[in-house]
Amino acid sequence: MTKQWVAVYSITDFISVCMLLSVVALNSVRRIETCLRAYTLNSLLLALLMGVSAFYLNVAHLYIAAIVTLATKGLVIPHLLRKVVKSLKVTREVEPYINTPLSLVISSILVVVVYSSLSKGIFIEGFAENTLKVSVSIILISLFIMMSRKKAITQVIGLLMMENGLFLAGFSLTYGMPTVIELGVLFDMLMGVIILGVFLSQIKKAFVSVDLDKLTTLKG
Amino acid sequence: MFLIAAIPLLVAILCLLVKDRPAYEYLTLAGTALAGGFSLYLAWTVIEGVPAFTAGHIFQIDALSSYMLVVITLLSFAVSAYSIGYMRHELEHGEVDAKTHRYYYALINLFVFTMVIVPMANNLAVLWMAVEGTTLVSALLVGLYRKRESIEAAWKYIMLCTVGITFALLGTFIIYYASAGTAGEGTLEWTALNAAARQMNPATVKLAFILIIVGYGTKAGLAPVHNWLPDAHSEAPTPISALLSGILLNCAFYGIMRFAVITDKTCGHQFVQNIMFTFGIASVVMASIFILIQGNTKRLLAYSSIEHMGIITLSFGTGGAYGLYASLLHILNHAFGKPLMFFVTGHIRAMHGSVEVGGVKGVLKTAPFVGVLGFIGVLALTGMPPFSLFLSEFLMLRGLAEGGHWYIIFVFLAASGVVFYGFMRAFGGMFFGVPPADVRKPVQSRLSGAVLFCLGAGLLVFGLYIPDALDRLITMSVGVVGG
Repeated sequence: MTKQWVAVYSITDFISVCMLLSVVALNSVRRIETCLRAYTLNSLLLALLMGVSAFYLNVAHLYIAAIVTLATKGLVIPHLLRKVVKSLKVTREVEPYINTPLSLVISSILVVVVYSSLSKGIFIEGFAENTLKVSVSIILISLFIMMSRKKAITQVIGLLMMENGLFLAGFSLTYGMPTVIELGVLFDMLMGVIILGVFLSQIKKAFVSVDLDKLTTLKG
Repeated sequence: MFLIAAIPLLVAILCLLVKDRPAYEYLTLAGTALAGGFSLYLAWTVIEGVPAFTAGHIFQIDALSSYMLVVITLLSFAVSAYSIGYMRHELEHGEVDAKTHRYYYALINLFVFTMVIVPMANNLAVLWMAVEGTTLVSALLVGLYRKRESIEAAWKYIMLCTVGITFALLGTFIIYYASAGTAGEGTLEWTALNAAARQMNPATVKLAFILIIVGYGTKAGLAPVHNWLPDAHSEAPTPISALLSGILLNCAFYGIMRFAVITDKTCGHQFVQNIMFTFGIASVVMASIFILIQGNTKRLLAYSSIEHMGIITLSFGTGGAYGLYASLLHILNHAFGKPLMFFVTGHIRAMHGSVEVGGVKGVLKTAPFVGVLGFIGVLALTGMPPFSLFLSEFLMLRGLAEGGHWYIIFVFLAASGVVFYGFMRAFGGMFFGVPPADVRKPVQSRLSGAVLFCLGAGLLVFGLYIPDALDRLITMSVGVVGG
């Protein structure tokens, strides 16, 4: 049993750190297609992580979770987003509110904060420890990206990245939820993406642009 | 029990299939009436002493669930009755086209469906799914007019609430982790968690609860994570504003309640109370300031919702028999008062073409019926006797006084004073004064008049006298939350 755990440790750590890097990479990416690719990579890594753990821990329902994640987050959602991007004809993120070096610095500060605040080990230990820290970092960095970008589509990508981080957290805490729950949550997210796509095209129609700094009429 | 959920879903599908206009309107009305009837029957059986029952561990009905179901379905009935007149008016004035009009009814049924799932859920992940479902469906309703402002509001709404609720899901995962550390297996069933609450690790549960209250608190409109609320409530079609404000916020708060019960047992009452007081008092104070300076009455009512959610949170945090009773009663009272006021502003907008403060005058003269009911609504929402919101707020103050939280009482009373002034400033000029000459004819259907009357009457009756059945149902629900 101990040997198995060692193997799971190192490889899960490796994959989850790759996920973290793909989120950090978003900070420096300007082209929307590349953002989408980063998201796809992130989702594929998540599915891989689930698959690998399923293999090592020999848990059947993790295989299902991995396959479902691969299908929705790795294939369907990126495909939908690519269609939306094409129809909106946006290719580049014009100057975010915060420039690249600064946002990279902020992201790394977030990671440090998460590691130092969760390192006291108040409640999590063992297999989950590193993965949980990584996942909370992913959630916070994605949140930061959502706040610092102007294009509505980048916000959606940030939101989806955040959800990936959330799935990673849930996975690291519980080795995956019961399959029915996982399916339900994924279904909700899929619906969410579709509805956001609808709103994106409505924003485009009403504002003739998908820059969110035009959405400022409602205040107070 | 499943009929209450199945009927709205079925009607939603029928609304998409039936192309005939009056048909789908009355289908919705009949559907919500049926659902309301069933949930009243369910509540009756609960009062009669049928024990809480579960179905496949995923769904469960206890006194609290049936109470929430009654509030949700009855208000949905009122809203669908009001919708008929209101949306026909919008259709005639070209605000929506025929297709959107039909979608509106399909969506409203779907919205009710997602909301009734919330109190039925025993599995906390199912609860989360249902709450997220309400966001998705209602965002489409908020953006129904497809004007710039409504799209902006809907976008803000779906973004902020989805982010918020992501944290709630993380909190749910952490609760699952906490339960896996106990003797039993990891579980997400509320009943099982509640039974194992005392064995869970308090530090873990604390973290989970903070994530939960931030997450569901976003949806429930608690300050400082309320920012989507004024926009969504003011830009949505009026019946939807009423639904959002009257019951959707309570659905999210219901999630907080369920988690609070567990946290209370694991970490002690003091922890839950501190957090609830912080969010509650922040909401009340923040809302009172914005009510004071608000120029648009629909936004003012939205801020008033934040205030009332703050009051519900405060009472719940107070705990004890008085606090919990006040919290649950206030949910019902607010679900009567706020829709009434939204409906009144809907009428005023149809007649005067404006809901701006200072833009409307003399409603009591142009439409005495609406004016009087609106005035009742204003007095009720500001917590004046003899209306029902006074009763629940008074109960809360009594609970607070017994706990010795005098500073909270002081801040609350001061904020209430500000709210009263803000309401009077905004609505006083609207109801009194000399009306301008170019007022359109009131577009009152008998049905929406009856809805207004019933809501107003409810506010008055429950302020004077709480029927035995209701009293027992609330007391039993308090037993669920406090036991």
